[in-house]
Amino acid sequence: MNRREAVTHVAWILGGVFSAPTLQAMNRWEQIGSQATALRQSGSFLTETQHEIMARVAELIIPRTDTPGAIDAGVPDFMEVMLRDCYRKPAQDTFLAGVGALEQKGFLKLSADQQTALLKQVEAEAQKTSDSSFWLITKELTLLGYYTSEVGVKASFDYQPIPGRFEAIKIKPGQKDFMYGNQA
Amino acid sequence: MNLNIKADKAQTYDAIVVGSGMTGGWAAKELTEKGLKVLVLERGYELKHVEDYKTAMKDPWEFEHRGKIPIVAAEEHYATMYFSAKEGSQYLYSNDKENPYIQKRPFNWIRAYHTGGKSLLWGKHTYRWNREDFLANAKQGLGVDWPIRYDDLIPWYNYVEKFVGISGQAEGLAVLPDSNFLPPMAMTAPEIHLKKSVAQKLNRPITIGRVAHLTKPQPWHTAVGRASCQFRNRCSRGCPFGAYFSSLAATIPAARQTNRLTIVHNAIVKEIILDDKAQKAKGVRVIDQNTLEVREFYAKLIFLNAGTIGSTSILMNSKSARFPNGLGNDSDQLGRNLMDHHLAIGARADIEGFEDDYFFGARPGSLYIPRFRNWGNDKRDYLRGFGYQGGASRADWSRGATETGFGADFKKKMTQPGPWKINLSGFGEVLPNPNNRFYLSEDQKDKWGLPQIVFDADFGENERAMRKDIMNDGAEMLEAAGFKNVVPYDNPVAHMGLGIHEMGTARMGKDPKTSVLNKFNQVHACKNVFVTDGSAMTSASNVNPSLTYMALTARAASYAVEQLKARSL
Ligand SMILES: Cc1cc2nc3c(=O)[nH]c(=O)nc-3n(C[C@H](O)[C@H](O)[C@H](O)COP(=O)(O)OP(=O)(O)OC[C@H]3O[C@@H](n4cnc5c(N)ncnc54)[C@H](O)[C@@H]3O)c2cc1C
Ligand code: SF4
Repeated sequence: MNRREAVTHVAWILGGVFSAPTLQAMNRWEQIGSQATALRQSGSFLTETQHEIMARVAELIIPRTDTPGAIDAGVPDFMEVMLRDCYRKPAQDTFLAGVGALEQKGFLKLSADQQTALLKQVEAEAQKTSDSSFWLITKELTLLGYYTSEVGVKASFDYQPIPGRFEAIKIKPGQKDFMYGNQA
Repeated sequence: MNLNIKADKAQTYDAIVVGSGMTGGWAAKELTEKGLKVLVLERGYELKHVEDYKTAMKDPWEFEHRGKIPIVAAEEHYATMYFSAKEGSQYLYSNDKENPYIQKRPFNWIRAYHTGGKSLLWGKHTYRWNREDFLANAKQGLGVDWPIRYDDLIPWYNYVEKFVGISGQAEGLAVLPDSNFLPPMAMTAPEIHLKKSVAQKLNRPITIGRVAHLTKPQPWHTAVGRASCQFRNRCSRGCPFGAYFSSLAATIPAARQTNRLTIVHNAIVKEIILDDKAQKAKGVRVIDQNTLEVREFYAKLIFLNAGTIGSTSILMNSKSARFPNGLGNDSDQLGRNLMDHHLAIGARADIEGFEDDYFFGARPGSLYIPRFRNWGNDKRDYLRGFGYQGGASRADWSRGATETGFGADFKKKMTQPGPWKINLSGFGEVLPNPNNRFYLSEDQKDKWGLPQIVFDADFGENERAMRKDIMNDGAEMLEAAGFKNVVPYDNPVAHMGLGIHEMGTARMGKDPKTSVLNKFNQVHACKNVFVTDGSAMTSASNVNPSLTYMALTARAASYAVEQLKARSL
């Protein structure tokens, strides 16, 4: 069993189901014993082009449909904050290498279909390894950024900040997931 | 350093309680209600109930990092953060960098230095110990015999349970005695299925977790300002409803209502001052955590409730001609027999079916599977037993990170409840072992000049043998229910301290030659000092310990006041 699974189980003990992104963060804290200090930058983590690439990637993962998409939810800026504050150097480097590769391939100039096809390749590649990858970091941050944002939560879930009771129920047709705001 | 020693009346109380956490709150409540003027000394900052739970009402998007801990904070809080704290609760965890300790063998020392202590962090699982728990040492010739039995605690369990407010289901089991319950929380459909299958096929009972949440507040709960649980499971950020039991929400308000309570914050109790002639404690010496100013406070009665390691280290630091190795340490037992529960082991599975079943509300609790090993006719090649906490729930959007796909359909799919999953996590008993210990460092000090704690403890053969059963038995139960992809797991990260139930180090016993405290938690050789937190435990049981600490505290406080009145302290 890998570290990530291991920590999930500890998390369960406290009755909390940790989100995948949180577990990723935990993975990193594992390595904290080493001397490397966190990179704490002010200002921008990505170049303007890289930022644009990531906005496009995020929007392909969570596009605007009849509900808002990743860009509407502020995911691109959120990603930068997270990468800067919550990720250690090795993960930051993995991420930067991934954006760099997309940049080299002229990602922004590709058609929407070509972009999607390229990301499918990137995804397939990432699935060959259990290590943290550019794709995993990107997807986790996009999902976390979107599904915990105000627009994302309100558009996607039945948000119940104060449910007032706990009971077993039957699902109604087309029922959205309940969200309780206990994930932070 | 500015010595400001005023032996005047203003510094003198009937009783001093060290620590305002789970047990300190009880000491303060009982002693004030019995008419004593009580001073509580708390080393941490002042945390005010409700108004200081600044993150409690925040929505997910109001957190800059959406719950994750920035790396810098994670580094500073390493021991504790990676395993339970989040952005909304990190303010309740103490900073390891400012409060360093030494790990000769790995130990996670999780601390909460503020009003309420770890009663703001706990998972609220609340179980009585059983009859055998108090007999096991004597029967097996391990450690020392408990100087008390289950019967000695029954009235005190009853007493504290009512005030605490514990939800749960009465089952009439000898292995897990019932408490005084408020209505139980519900089980989900797959959990009910598991309960039935395991009862039928393996003859093991499963009950809903017994947790200190008000499911139906009683007048004595509302009288201190507590209200019903709202099932939002944001407890780790502090509960503005006072719906879970903490000293901040319950015992301290009760003590305040007597008008006999004084709390001084930022007051690190360094040592107990001994009156050499009388062989009694006359007060405590305190270092202000911000100004380093040293002060003394005096009282006829001293209750140590600084947490297991905290209280024992105060005794160790209290050296005198009479007690060169620490107050009450004639037995050389101070710091020894450090125990915990071993965990991070169990089994999990995917659940197919139950697609139509769902639940409303966020339940702050789980299932409980009581000990069945080495119980009744069951005999294993190791001693003692274990229980499980766990439960089933449906995966949420975060499953998407490891699922293939992206785009519009994927986005929509993540808004639907995901498949059910279940986990059973074992809690095993750790045996008392005199070589599992902590002691004070001879050369490393903290910024207040106090010696750092050195931890030197690990699991032994018995614990390791037990772990195999915890994994396999967990898997067996999930299989009995027909769940899929059953995975038994043993997490290599498990070590002492991570069980967050540190116990022992100033054990109770009948004989002053082999124990530190008597049957009323009184230091054998210094009768007006009582230690009523986890330090006192003679063995560890396999159920969560805090209820038993609370019962012991209320019992000791009652005895202490009787003795004071009889002028025998
Ligand atoms: C995440 C987590 C989950 C838990 N879940 C459960 C559970 O489900 N069930 C259960 O039974 N238990 C649980 N526990 C354990 C429970 O929290 C402890 O057993 C309980 O809080 C111990 O009470 P205490 O009074 O001994 O210590 P604490 O509650 O820690 O209080 C000690 C107080 O003393 C103060 N102090 C320390 N040193 C000094 C000093 N030198 N001078 C002055 N003040 C001092 C501290 O600041 C603190 O306020 C859990 C713990 C954690 C961390
Ligand atoms: S779940 Fe209940 S106890 Fe926990 S924070 Fe909500 S109301 Fe308070």
